[in-house]
Amino acid sequence: MMALTPEFTPGPLFSSTAVSVSLMAPVARFSLRLRAGDVPALSQAIGLELPTRIGTRARKEPVDIMCLGPDEWQVQTDASDSARLINACAGIYAQTPHSLTDISEREVTVVIHGPDAIDLLGIGCPRDIDQIAIGEGCRTVFDGVSTILWRDGETSFRLDIWRSFAPYVIDLIQTGCIELATE
Amino acid sequence: MSLFRVTGRGRIDPTTPVQFTFDGKIISGYKGDTITSALLANGIHLMGRSFKYHRPRGAVCAGSEEPNALVGTRRGVGQYEPNTRATVQEIWNGLEVTSQNRYPSLSFDIGAVNDRAYMLFSAGFYYKTFMWPKSFWDKVYEPFIRSAAGLGVSPSEHDPDKYASRYLHTDVLVVGAGPAGLAAALTAARSGLRVTLADENPEAGGTLISEPQTVIDGLPAWQWVAQATAELVSLGVRVMTRTTAIGYYHQNMVGLCQKLTDHLPLPDANMPRERLWRVRARQVILAQGALEKPLVFDGNDRPGVMLAGSAQTYLNKYGVRVGNNAVVMTSHDSAWYAAFDLADAGTKIQAIVDTRSEPDAKLVAAAKSRSIRVLSGYSVTGTQGRLRIKSVRVNPVVNGKVGAPETLECDCLLMSGGWTPSLHLFSHTKGALAWDDAMQTFLPDRKTEECEIAGAGRGLWGIKAVLNDGAAMGAAVARNLDKVASVSPYVVEYDRIGTGVSHTELPTDQDPGKARAFVDFQNDVTAKDLRLAVREGMHSIEHVKRYTTNGMATDQGKMSNINGLNIAADALGKPQPEVGLTTFRPPYTPTSFGVFCGYHRGDHFDVTRKTPIDSWAEENGAVFEPVSMWRRARYFPKNGEDMNAAVSRECKTTRSALGMFDASTLGKIEIVGPDAVEFMNRMYTNPWTRLAPGRTRYGLLLGDDGFIRDDGVIGRLSTDRFHVTTTTGGAARVLNMMEDYLQTEWPDLKVWLTSTTEHWSTIALNGPNARKLLQPFVEGQDISDDAFPHMSIVECRVAGFPARLFRVSFTGELGFEVNVPACHGRALWQTLWDAGQQYGMCAYGTETMHVLRAEKGYIIVGQDTDGTVTPHDAGMSWAIGKNKPDFIGKRGLERPDLVAPGRKQLVGLLTQDGTTKLEEGAQLVLDPNQLVPMKMVGHVTSSYHSDAVGRPIAFALLEGGHNRMGETVYIPMPDGVIRADVTGTVFYDPDGTRLKL
Repeated sequence: MMALTPEFTPGPLFSSTAVSVSLMAPVARFSLRLRAGDVPALSQAIGLELPTRIGTRARKEPVDIMCLGPDEWQVQTDASDSARLINACAGIYAQTPHSLTDISEREVTVVIHGPDAIDLLGIGCPRDIDQIAIGEGCRTVFDGVSTILWRDGETSFRLDIWRSFAPYVIDLIQTGCIELATE
Repeated sequence: MSLFRVTGRGRIDPTTPVQFTFDGKIISGYKGDTITSALLANGIHLMGRSFKYHRPRGAVCAGSEEPNALVGTRRGVGQYEPNTRATVQEIWNGLEVTSQNRYPSLSFDIGAVNDRAYMLFSAGFYYKTFMWPKSFWDKVYEPFIRSAAGLGVSPSEHDPDKYASRYLHTDVLVVGAGPAGLAAALTAARSGLRVTLADENPEAGGTLISEPQTVIDGLPAWQWVAQATAELVSLGVRVMTRTTAIGYYHQNMVGLCQKLTDHLPLPDANMPRERLWRVRARQVILAQGALEKPLVFDGNDRPGVMLAGSAQTYLNKYGVRVGNNAVVMTSHDSAWYAAFDLADAGTKIQAIVDTRSEPDAKLVAAAKSRSIRVLSGYSVTGTQGRLRIKSVRVNPVVNGKVGAPETLECDCLLMSGGWTPSLHLFSHTKGALAWDDAMQTFLPDRKTEECEIAGAGRGLWGIKAVLNDGAAMGAAVARNLDKVASVSPYVVEYDRIGTGVSHTELPTDQDPGKARAFVDFQNDVTAKDLRLAVREGMHSIEHVKRYTTNGMATDQGKMSNINGLNIAADALGKPQPEVGLTTFRPPYTPTSFGVFCGYHRGDHFDVTRKTPIDSWAEENGAVFEPVSMWRRARYFPKNGEDMNAAVSRECKTTRSALGMFDASTLGKIEIVGPDAVEFMNRMYTNPWTRLAPGRTRYGLLLGDDGFIRDDGVIGRLSTDRFHVTTTTGGAARVLNMMEDYLQTEWPDLKVWLTSTTEHWSTIALNGPNARKLLQPFVEGQDISDDAFPHMSIVECRVAGFPARLFRVSFTGELGFEVNVPACHGRALWQTLWDAGQQYGMCAYGTETMHVLRAEKGYIIVGQDTDGTVTPHDAGMSWAIGKNKPDFIGKRGLERPDLVAPGRKQLVGLLTQDGTTKLEEGAQLVLDPNQLVPMKMVGHVTSSYHSDAVGRPIAFALLEGGHNRMGETVYIPMPDGVIRADVTGTVFYDPDGTRLKL
């Protein structure tokens, strides 16, 4: 069990019998913006079919892409894969203009796992978590703060939070863990 | 076992005695008792004093609608709550309960003198009494009214409890776990839906708890409740007890307040006291039941006068007889059964007095079999007893004529005026109500939300009827949600069906103008007050309500509204629907402020954004200030410096050597695409086409009205990629504005926007030694003045980190801004800090930044502008691209008012004594000898002491300021008039030579 440091040192943050919360190790993240007609070209360049229904994802290790809007995708991959991704997209930019912007450090990611995970999210997230299919996600808010929620399993979630908002959000997640442990 | 406790009855746990204190006296009860049931078990009816007349009062009911038995409760330090409803607060060992609105004691209260003078305190008393003389208002009347206002004492200590909140989505929310709610939840849950069932009581069952004789499908009522609840839990239904649906909002959002610890003697310290649930339900079933209505007659408020159904509840739920010697006064069959239950438990029923001349023969026979005297066609015309009822005066009524009185001795009077469907939540939805003439009540009519109303809440009566209605509504919502629900009728035995009639005040043989016949017990409103209000011209129920305060107490008129309406309608000679019903508003029952605040208190009150370098600032003694949601280091005091000393040192060090500043909060937006430059041309006033990659430019953003909205330095990284910076507070607003234009006005542009504010950590280095410090750390770029002139940008590496390096200055000194990925921000800061010590470098905060930029005449948007300042007003016409076909605000700038002479324009001010620092916000006048109010011609926007200039400097917005250079303006202040010269805004290094080192 570790406290949240100003440096966002990855590792376990807190846990109870029914839920554990940890800070994920840094990854490469990109905001990808393009026109609908250019989806096939970018899919080919990235090597993964871009999902086109908002909230759906496409995954092929190490890349995980979520469709956030009609022209917006959040792309996550390993740091070691980011040069490949940047080059692949740059290679088709002249024919297929788009925006690939590095936001790796904009957010930190909290991993929430365990039977109480959905109840814990219900403390701050107004979405109906049951309606988010496993392997999908959404851009939503947690305690009023914009976040991106990834559902990786029945009771496994990741929450991307902008860096300066993260201590506030994580503080409430900790309060929630303590509260859930009393139930 | 006390005299009034009935062995073997009730849901209390007789093996677990509980002791609490009431006004310091130890009272014994059992686990499962409320304050009221325990007091009643000890023969105590006197529980409080009324609000206005200080009349002795006892509990009228057994539920959350209680208007009288409001007490102070104390659970521990800081855990005092006024106006706790004694009828719902469960007891535990050590609970401290105090009565309210009495001095010196509950049984002897000086304030009761008001009761003697009751004829003075009629409806509209305040409006009539405190009108004149006008001069009395401030000193006499208002303090008097304020001290008299409010019941109970506000808590003054810090509340140590925790409060929680949670979101919940459910297919079906059922409000109320009585028979209708249980049946509805069972049907809906069996069809496979996600169901949530909420009830304000500690356990499910509702009426069935008070009607244990009922047999449902062969099971006694309590067993049926247990079985139904178990089945619900097994079906995954969230059964929430002690949970009140407090408000019903748009699109089936229902607020639930769940009380978690008030009933526990030693709650887990981590457990919240209350939790607010924001429930979004696809379908809602309101099964809130009905509330019993008091009868209105002289003396209907004495301790010992109680609703008959509540007396039945005290017996069956708590095993408490509310008295030894009861008279029952009713206009509804239900009270007869209460009388029978009490009689069977050992209470002597002196008489059942029914207003109806021919009550049901079966009921009369059942009374006879118990040797209970029946008086039919009677009225009650008075009661006696100071702190507890001693007798009741009853009179026969024949053909509307009130006959001779008879006095019946008693220690309690159980009344029933019939039942009112609970319409509160339905009313929150703005659903329409329809008046039912036969039942003399309002019923739910047209709905505005996806909801159904089941059971007594829509006027049904009897266990069988409400069970089957609940099941039918459960099936209806299941069908609405495309599920198949099967319903078979419930078989119910020993159901107590019945009817009743409705009354205004009961007829009397005495002066009705002197009757203390209470309608609203909590606000002390009598029938006489309501009739007076109508006589004095209040013809709408909303006016009657406000004039008399009927229904305006914390119980929201649960008992009083319908009686009040009937009386007002009678006085007006109009049918009730023409007079109307006042609006019920959330919350349904009084709700703590704590639960609305939830987690948002103390450190978690709101977001405090911190930069990656914030921790260094904290470790190094920074004093912080809030800037939008960020906290920023304001200055770094050393050796006990105050702000002036620290800022003076930081300014001097930066100008003479080197200063370092955390600029990470600046908003950053990445603008990418082949149309990026066109987009920039349209957004900002400046021309961008000829800005070469690798160069930066100051950008000015206007609204379409032509006024300055934001500014920042913008770098062109490549033909198609810009790095835009915005003000700290403007980051989100600017991005939203850009997205808005892009999506709605210019969808043809191939350009995309991404917020990168938090991806980068930004460190500004300013001062003559800036290059010397930075040069050794930069890889991949020569940063000499020739190779990297002022207003350049490059992607390179700094101290080994990937970086975007700007040459830019907000101080007028040689300046660089290094952007590195946020995770490296603190490491880079430390590296530069350590290396900077050889140059005597300081860290400076926002205050020094403000002074340095003001010396140079750089504006701060939002401080020197206020949303009405054009670029020209700010002296920044140079920032406008004259040859551009269009940009946001271009046409706004051509409006006549924006080009008219005499606009307020930004100027510099120098006080003529050379030492006085002006106050920001101070007003300017041209002639200090005018009469007050003087004509004000502007105000000071920024003011600092400047060491570099050797005197105070200021900016001001001044009418026609640009044409007043050299003139004197006057700043009248409380201790004298200050004279200042109007100057330009650049006070230091006007040629900018220091930038070009």
